[in-house]
Amino acid sequence: MASITIDGIVKQFSGQTVLQNLSLHIPDGAFYTLLGPSGCGKTTLLRCIAGFYEPDGGRLLFDKDDVTRVSTHHRDIGMVFQDYALFPDKTAFDNVAYGLRARKVAKPEIARRVGEALERVGLSALAGRYPAQMSGGQRQRVALARALVIRPRVLLMDEPLSNLDAKMRLQMRDVILDLVREAGITTVFVTHDQEEALAMSDRIAIMDRGSIAQLGTPEDLYGTPVNAYVADFIGSANVIPVAARIVDGSGAAPHVRYQLAGHELDGVAGSPRLDDQSVLIARPEDLSLMAPAPHVPNALSGRVLRRQYLGFKTAYRIQLHDGPEIRVELHAGNTVAAFQPGDTVQVLVPADSRVVGA
Amino acid sequence: MKIHWWPWGVLTLVSLVLLSFFVLYPLAVLFGNSVVDDGGGYSLAAFLALARDSEYVQAFKNTLVLGFSVTACTVLVGVPFAYMVARYEFPLKNLVAVLPIMTIVIPEIIVGQSWLLILGNNGLLTNFFADLGIELPSFYGWTGMVFSMTLVYYTYIYLGVLAALRGFDGQLEEAGLSLGTSPLVTKMRVLVPVMLPAVLVNALVVFTLVVGNFALSMLLGSRVPLLSVMTYNTFVSEMGGSPALQSAMSVVSIAIVAVVLFFQKRVVERKVYTMTQGRAPAPVRVRSAAGLLFTLTVGLVILASLLPLVVVFIGAFTETSGPVMRWGSWSLSSLQRALHAAPEPIINSLKFSSIATLVGVSFALLVSYLTIKKRNLFTQALDYIVVLPLTISGTVLGIALVQTFNTGWLVLAGTSGIMVLAYTVRRLPFAVRNASSTLFNIPESIEEASISLGVSPLMTFFKVILPAMRASLISAAILMWVTTISELSASVVVYTGGLETMPITIFRQVDGGRLGLASAYGAALVSVILLPIVVAIKVFRINLFSSK
Repeated sequence: MASITIDGIVKQFSGQTVLQNLSLHIPDGAFYTLLGPSGCGKTTLLRCIAGFYEPDGGRLLFDKDDVTRVSTHHRDIGMVFQDYALFPDKTAFDNVAYGLRARKVAKPEIARRVGEALERVGLSALAGRYPAQMSGGQRQRVALARALVIRPRVLLMDEPLSNLDAKMRLQMRDVILDLVREAGITTVFVTHDQEEALAMSDRIAIMDRGSIAQLGTPEDLYGTPVNAYVADFIGSANVIPVAARIVDGSGAAPHVRYQLAGHELDGVAGSPRLDDQSVLIARPEDLSLMAPAPHVPNALSGRVLRRQYLGFKTAYRIQLHDGPEIRVELHAGNTVAAFQPGDTVQVLVPADSRVVGA
Repeated sequence: MKIHWWPWGVLTLVSLVLLSFFVLYPLAVLFGNSVVDDGGGYSLAAFLALARDSEYVQAFKNTLVLGFSVTACTVLVGVPFAYMVARYEFPLKNLVAVLPIMTIVIPEIIVGQSWLLILGNNGLLTNFFADLGIELPSFYGWTGMVFSMTLVYYTYIYLGVLAALRGFDGQLEEAGLSLGTSPLVTKMRVLVPVMLPAVLVNALVVFTLVVGNFALSMLLGSRVPLLSVMTYNTFVSEMGGSPALQSAMSVVSIAIVAVVLFFQKRVVERKVYTMTQGRAPAPVRVRSAAGLLFTLTVGLVILASLLPLVVVFIGAFTETSGPVMRWGSWSLSSLQRALHAAPEPIINSLKFSSIATLVGVSFALLVSYLTIKKRNLFTQALDYIVVLPLTISGTVLGIALVQTFNTGWLVLAGTSGIMVLAYTVRRLPFAVRNASSTLFNIPESIEEASISLGVSPLMTFFKVILPAMRASLISAAILMWVTTISELSASVVVYTGGLETMPITIFRQVDGGRLGLASAYGAALVSVILLPIVVAIKVFRINLFSSK
């Protein structure tokens, strides 16, 4: 087990900078997720940690050891791949034993540890099977057992769930969490699935074009996104350009007033400086609808464009008068969920909605 | 990109040096010799002489005519055959599964020889009809060449078109029908345009093979002048003399193939459509009468393809007196002579092929690993050089090797080395293609998984890549073995006394009219070819021809 310190790592591919001076500290035993769309550099960062890519600048430390120039096979890592990467000519047992044999572990101990590892992922009965004879979920369990059985200093997982079907994905989340918690191993998990990231991580690093856009707990990222990119990526908020000014900068939640659809509304500032180029972050589920009424604070009038009934909630698309479109989601328990397309409504924007720099 | 020198950079350089020396350099020598006159100056005299030589011009024309005729015939046989197999279900259809094996495996020389045994001047059928008072037209010349080459090469068209048909999305035809075109019009407008490039690509391959063909042209060509035969004869009669003429002839042959391959790469291959999805329509079961017709047609083609295997054994056990085959009376004397009195060709063949296979497959594995998994500028060069032998016919390759390695600091001419070299270079492109297709399907992540588990990159190659390629390496080795052991056109050029192989001996015996002894060696050749195939399929359970 070890902490990971990434110190100003730079990585370029044929002149294109993929990681820009990126720093991140992952404490011993923590579960960190690198989240972002494809091309944001998350896999590149993971592969730098693994040693498959040599960074063009910066340092990488496992605890106090500088491993920047250490080759992969001397780094003592465990890695789980997107396509499982099981050796096709070896049985589940031999796949799991591979790393132990490379470490010259004594035969009886190999048998014992592989047996334990397979049992822990619930595959004792399939030890003699070849990868081709197993389902996707089973293969992923073997891959997990193979990475963990060597008791690596860090565990690296590259979109390990993306090749599984939806149901198996949920199941494997628990399997992975149980195993890494039990082993107390430092884990870096790469995914583009925000729900997966929220459900599994101690901390999430949202990446954008080779840098970390925001690092925080799942609650931080959902509740207090620092910019439009993060807000849009996690939970797909309404991100609406507004002109804003900070009224009262003192206190933990600085008060802001902003212009939207001809009205002036109250909000909370998410950035230290705001101007005409700011954005309002309004999550559809935080907004609510009401029939038109005079003098309602923080309300904007609009017309219902479309209503989609989704069972546990109802999603609306509203065209604001003299303003943009906005999405509103009402929970099934909400009694007013009965507006029809064409109805005029008022959209209530909570006064604690965040306004951040664009 | 940064190049890590150890171990892959070093191995890349070593491969590059070996390929340059054994493939590029002989070609350069050949091209150089073609423009050097007796005095040592540069001139195009040899090419001018060829252009003025009416027999050579005739041979040039004949070769092109033969190429077009055989290609047309193979298309006429191969396309309907593929269509029947892809779209219909009929009795005995499973028999066609053995076809690709057979055409790869039966040496051309055996095909030519067996059809001579059947339809030649003293052939089984010729004699049979002569007894009835019917004189069959001579098998020598155009008839025999077009007939036997069609039988040898139609599987290239068949396999190519079959693959294209199986990859064709049946819904496209249904879409055509739903848009209101009749079934026939739909086929013409939807299926045919997609199939055409696939047919053309394989037709061009057949064309180049016919142009380079030596064994059948030599055995059956008789008085029809052909480029490959003339090139060979010039080489044989000019040994020790000025190499300019043979070099110029070789350069012309290379040019023809190069033009065709260039056309194929630039024009045809860009038109080949790949279908990402879609399922070929399920084969339709044909009704009794038509089904019988299908079975008969397919049966006839298969019979004609397999007949050489039977005939060569019959010939081996038939009593001979001089050049005359005494059909119907049996004897072991031919076999006795081949196996006991003069077994050197058999031993030579086994020896050269085994070494060439070992060297060729190992080197091909290394080269394909470097070009696929460790790409850089140098491996790109490897990739290009390694396919060069495809543009060179066996005869030309042989001439290039002899011209290059008969003097200088490395003299291979007259040694086993040059035989092994000829075998290896000729089959290298195929061995590399074999290994590459398997390597393509081995994901990068498997190696990375091994490295992440603490095994060095070099050891990972041995512990992960090699085992994963085991089946394909065995099949590559068997294919290389069976194809080198029946190699004739290059080895007949480079061999000297004491280095005769089975195909060379068969060729010389047939040429000398001793068909019985030729058959005995033929039977031995076919046996050593079939044995490893049977072992591979039965013992290792390897699907040898799945990649084809």
